[in-house]
Amino acid sequence: MEDDSELDLISELPQSIIEAILAKLPLRDAVRTSILSTRWRYKWASLTHIMFDDRSASHFNDRIVVQDGIVNFITRFLFLHDGPIHKFSLSSSFLQSSPDIDQWLLFLSRKDVKELILELGEGEWFRAPSCVFSCKKLTRLELVRCELDPPPNFKGFLCLKHLSLQQVLIPPDDIEYLISNCPLLESLTLSYFDSLELTVCAPNLKYLILEGEFKDLCLENTPLLVAISVAMYMTDDIAEHFEHSSSCNFDKFLGGVPKLERLIGHIYFTKYLSIGNNQKRSPITYHHLRFIELYQVSFDDMKEVLVVLQLIVNSPNLQELQISGSSNTSATVGAPDLEFWDENFSIDCTLHRLKKVKLTDVSGVEHEMKFIQFLLENSPVLEVMSITPSLYLTDGRLNMLIDLASFRRASSRAKIIFIQEPV
Amino acid sequence: MTEADSEIIKSEMLKAYVWLQTSDDSIQQVEQEVAMFCPFICQEIHSGMGSSKNYPISLPSRVNPPMLSLILDYCRFHQVPGRSNKERKSFDEKFVRMDTKRLCELTSAADSLQLKPLVDLTSRALARVIEGKTPEEIREIFHLPDDLTEEEKLEPIKNTMDDPRIRLLNRLYARKRKELKERERLQDAEIEEERSDERSVDDLLSFINGSGEDSKGTRNSKNKKKNRKRKDQHKTAPSNCISTSNGSSSRNADMDNKESYEHNSLSGNSTVHRNLLTNLRYTTKLQGVENDRFSPEDEFDDCDLEDDIDPALKEKIDREVEDFARRLNSDWPERMQEILSLGQERRPLQSTINGNGSLRKLTSLDQRQK
Repeated sequence: MEDDSELDLISELPQSIIEAILAKLPLRDAVRTSILSTRWRYKWASLTHIMFDDRSASHFNDRIVVQDGIVNFITRFLFLHDGPIHKFSLSSSFLQSSPDIDQWLLFLSRKDVKELILELGEGEWFRAPSCVFSCKKLTRLELVRCELDPPPNFKGFLCLKHLSLQQVLIPPDDIEYLISNCPLLESLTLSYFDSLELTVCAPNLKYLILEGEFKDLCLENTPLLVAISVAMYMTDDIAEHFEHSSSCNFDKFLGGVPKLERLIGHIYFTKYLSIGNNQKRSPITYHHLRFIELYQVSFDDMKEVLVVLQLIVNSPNLQELQISGSSNTSATVGAPDLEFWDENFSIDCTLHRLKKVKLTDVSGVEHEMKFIQFLLENSPVLEVMSITPSLYLTDGRLNMLIDLASFRRASSRAKIIFIQEPV
Repeated sequence: MTEADSEIIKSEMLKAYVWLQTSDDSIQQVEQEVAMFCPFICQEIHSGMGSSKNYPISLPSRVNPPMLSLILDYCRFHQVPGRSNKERKSFDEKFVRMDTKRLCELTSAADSLQLKPLVDLTSRALARVIEGKTPEEIREIFHLPDDLTEEEKLEPIKNTMDDPRIRLLNRLYARKRKELKERERLQDAEIEEERSDERSVDDLLSFINGSGEDSKGTRNSKNKKKNRKRKDQHKTAPSNCISTSNGSSSRNADMDNKESYEHNSLSGNSTVHRNLLTNLRYTTKLQGVENDRFSPEDEFDDCDLEDDIDPALKEKIDREVEDFARRLNSDWPERMQEILSLGQERRPLQSTINGNGSLRKLTSLDQRQK
């Protein structure tokens, strides 16, 4: 078969492949294929995965023009579409809240849509109509900049596996209700929530991503949780709230996740965990925890150091550790308590599997150096430890290196890499 | 003997081979771990085939030897567990750099072997080939027959908002009216036989304005639509000219006024009304053709005044207007008759004689369902 032959190359492919190809085109181009030839006339109309983004929007200076164009396009598209719709994703910065969107959602709810992704432009947040809550077959729901107000008779999404709410306004009780009434929920992402007190009851939950200002976080029933990523922002009220809190955050949050494999904590996460934390040994051992990544750990605060140690010591299978120090070296409260380290060195805390350690923003404070020493002495299979000093540390680098060189290493293969330039 | 050494020896000892037979009956011997990457081959192995030369696994007919070797290259790279995502991605990118014909064959072959990652990769590559190209280019690349009639080519959905095209359409209509008037005066004008413009009422009704970089005919015919809407709106909404979206003609001047008004006021209240109007607009679009409310000259002047397209684009548009006008010339009066008489009903079969003298049948909506 030469290239000059008249043989049609592509129309012979099975419908599933043609759909796969069309689904990867911007929606507008996919619809344009209708004028290619007779066989292609309605191939686009049976797409089951519909994804509209700004690639399909025409670009003019007048925003209203563009928005009306998009509204028109989607309305016509849905009207001429023929067949089931499994996934509908609308992500456009031009589109604002509009009654047409309500109608589309009503249409989709009748089509048993399974995946719904809605991300509209900045401006007035879109208020989700009640038909969203009647999409019984939903397995994935992702909303950005929405107002959600579940109706009183809402019983939950029984098939929902993935829930992602970003910048969503929802009454706090309702969010907990929503989570607990999605029995199959496996992945939960909540971003940019303000002052939320959250208790998560999700027996099948495996992946949890939280980002925002949380007053209180409690993982009550999440035995299958495998990966956690938390970024906690702190405001003054929340800081105050913490002062008066008496419960142990570490236990509340990490007390019931025996299957945890990855833990990522941003911003004030370690500080959050340190509040109310008094024991050195946590109640459970994280046998599967292989990867820990913590940011903004303030080595000036001994309580935070304690949290880090507690995590590490209770994770016998830890393989990789990344810690980024906090550069705001506020005045240390008194002299650091170094005796605590001597106690710790005497217990057996061998990290049998720790291979890779990456420390960034290292400011060389006492606790930090002791921590590094602790790691080096207790990691028999360590391969690489990379240290990047904090940008603010200029004079102390030589001293840091001298100290590093003097530490004992349990692993004969350990390499210490000191990175001068910021990566 | 270190751990690494003993592992190498172990893998050597365990290396098994399977025999695969392609559509041309040639038989190849392939390492089992590589071949097992394909689910189809996996299944066949589990059902006992392929262990010897006499009982090779017969691969589906869409897998010919060159495709098989490509697929095996792919499998051989990806079945190694130690590779990083970056490496895999960069291999994939290089891998799909081939001509479109082979891409299609490869997709077909990978699909028949149920090798989903490769199908995804190749379909993404094919999508990239299609994206952003004009229909002619796409037809050329894939050797698709250009067998749609003019009417069928009017795409069902387009983005509405192309201001230059609104103006283009204005001009088209204006010129057309002029010519029509003239022709009516010279009643014995011979009907030129050029390409017939077979456009069913329904198709015209159902397409959205704005045109793509598609065939000229499509573009111009769409512009014609736009023209109609814009023109009417212009007259009835004196204060707001560039009412960009779907302000279009409707049956009564009153409705038009109301519509433009409401449209221009960003309304929350009149949305229902607006939706109704949207529907109405499209159904009555063609009705507007008969509304001879405007004199062509006025329209023309008004248009030009409001234009702010740059001169180069203007020229281009002018040229295309000429082309389109020429194309329309042939049976405009005839078509007008039909439109007037049939209104919104479905058009029955219509035959016209095109320039070559052969009979071309217009397909009805039924026939178009293929």
